[in-house]
Amino acid sequence: MAVLLRRLAGHVARGFVMILVVTTISFLIIRSVPGDPLAARYQKLVEQGMAPDAAQRAVEALYGFTPKGGLWEQYLDYMGGLAHLDLGQSLSVPGAGVSTVLFSAAKWTVIPVLAGTLLSFLAGVVMGVYAAIKRTGVLGDLLAISGSLLHGVPQYVLALLLGAIFTTLVPILPAGGTADIMIDPGFTADYIGSLVQHATLPVVTYALAGYGGWILAMKSSVVTVLGDDFILAAELRGMKRSIIFRYVARNAILPLFTILALSLGLLFGGAIFIERIFNYPGLGLMLIDSVNNRDYSLMGGAFLLITTAIVVANIAADLLYTVIDPRVRSGGEAA
Amino acid sequence: MAPEQSPPGARIRGLTVVYRTPAGELPAVSGVDLDLAPGTITGVVGESGSGKSTLALALLNAVQPPGRIAAGSVEIDGLGDVVALGGEGLRRARGRHVGYVFQAAQNSLNPLKTVGKQVLDLGRSHGVEDVRGLLADARDLLGRMGLDGARVLDSYQHELSGGMRQRVGIMLALVLNARLVVLDEPTTALDMITQATILRIVREVHAERGLTTLVITHDLGVVAEVADRLAVMYGGRVAEQGPTREVLAGPRHPYTRGLLGAIPRLVGDIGEAHALPGRPPTLADIPADGCVFRERCPLRMDVCETGRPPVVVSGSRSAACHAVRDDDGDRPAVAAATGEDQA
Repeated sequence: MAVLLRRLAGHVARGFVMILVVTTISFLIIRSVPGDPLAARYQKLVEQGMAPDAAQRAVEALYGFTPKGGLWEQYLDYMGGLAHLDLGQSLSVPGAGVSTVLFSAAKWTVIPVLAGTLLSFLAGVVMGVYAAIKRTGVLGDLLAISGSLLHGVPQYVLALLLGAIFTTLVPILPAGGTADIMIDPGFTADYIGSLVQHATLPVVTYALAGYGGWILAMKSSVVTVLGDDFILAAELRGMKRSIIFRYVARNAILPLFTILALSLGLLFGGAIFIERIFNYPGLGLMLIDSVNNRDYSLMGGAFLLITTAIVVANIAADLLYTVIDPRVRSGGEAA
Repeated sequence: MAPEQSPPGARIRGLTVVYRTPAGELPAVSGVDLDLAPGTITGVVGESGSGKSTLALALLNAVQPPGRIAAGSVEIDGLGDVVALGGEGLRRARGRHVGYVFQAAQNSLNPLKTVGKQVLDLGRSHGVEDVRGLLADARDLLGRMGLDGARVLDSYQHELSGGMRQRVGIMLALVLNARLVVLDEPTTALDMITQATILRIVREVHAERGLTTLVITHDLGVVAEVADRLAVMYGGRVAEQGPTREVLAGPRHPYTRGLLGAIPRLVGDIGEAHALPGRPPTLADIPADGCVFRERCPLRMDVCETGRPPVVVSGSRSAACHAVRDDDGDRPAVAAATGEDQA
């Protein structure tokens, strides 16, 4: 346990530094993007037919400030806010804090992507084991080919294809949005049913897009373990098939847990194409909007969220490894 | 368990194991006859690719694909013909009747489980009810081999040294009271001191538990150390076999002679050791007809190209060589064929 805690402390310290560095870099990059959020807003208002000085006043009233400080001042200001867990105000969504905007978008990304990832992981791992065991047969070949094929097709092609099939050719699923606007949001069967219906296509797309990678990874991992001496040794000791199967599965799945933890970190990155195609208001869409609107603080917040998620996922993966692999555990003791 | 009944013997007859390759099925073991007399230690010596490990696996009917036993039988007392066994019957025989010890350098343990848990898995696989008793047996066996049994049972593979792993392997082969034990390269990849310790343990445990033991090795020294009987394999065939002392003192087959001649002496000129010319055949270039050793043989004759060498038996020894028949002169090839059946 002490080993685990010491490992955790080290990881947290390193993770903190990592987040600091990434935040600084993304701050600089965001600020060097050509354009100006207030100018962008002003332009939009003018385009909408507002008089120039009215638009100017509206912009100032809307945000209540006009940033005048230099880059350095802005940076200190921003970091100071972060220290208080204050991500600042969104510039494109007037009156809303960045964290509010982020979290309202996050739920539309995290839940479907999580569902899709876990679904593809489970299916891929099971099928991967099967493909490895039957690797000399036709079925194994077919499974492996299906994996390669799905792995090779870009996510957005998959999304467009599924969309075309299930909303146009066989119109059984809604084309976009999160729920039927005719149904009042609430904890009712109708609303939840509508949510699930709308989430089906994005989730299936995530699942299919991930499945190929998992089946291929699991297959090769299982094939490697099957060739290990201790499996033959267990067979020669007359171990039951079910026990040998567990030996194989546990050893083979080990490297995949790292990939899973890392891919869960990418949850918050959002799936820009898929959210766009299914008009799903998640983090990906929000990120595009924030870039278009030069919403510095929202962009910064989104990057911070992604960075933190990945760092946390890395730490989780490492700690998980410590728990499931005794070799890593005692490696820590020795160090 | 007291050795109240005599340990099982084993009789290998006409064993042929082939491997499927792009060039067709090629024999790794070809028509081998070998007896493991009850209570003895038999050593099988050969270079890499001589078929000795395949032979050991065949004893458990465990030749791995793309290999298969194409012909012959392996009769083990109390089990019958292992080649005819399959499925659950075969699984139960493994570990219970025949213990198999892997080479120490090979990782024969599940890296994610402690030794003790793997002993329990073994017990569960073989329907052992008295789990505590099983663990106690394992601990005693490890203690008998000079290890701290309780600590080893709590250890993972990576926490054990090569010599310790090898003893754990021996424990796992014996803990279910198997009386026929196969050791595949038991001392390979161990340092000299550990090698000596392991060999001493093999000898002592063999005697104490009343086992029938088969030791597979490439090291004539190991065989000289532990084996009562010795079989020299070359190119998938038994070149010569007999009581260890007699064979080492007076080798008949030119290959055995070559092997012994290649060992440098502790005292004397290193130049006195002569390596055999050429290299052992691989699966792909084992000659189909005639003698497999002829390419490297100093006594090569015309008949070696075409005729498979007859097994020339004299007393408890036999050698498969055309030249040996010529040497002895008095023993025609026909007699050799009938003499094969004697133990």
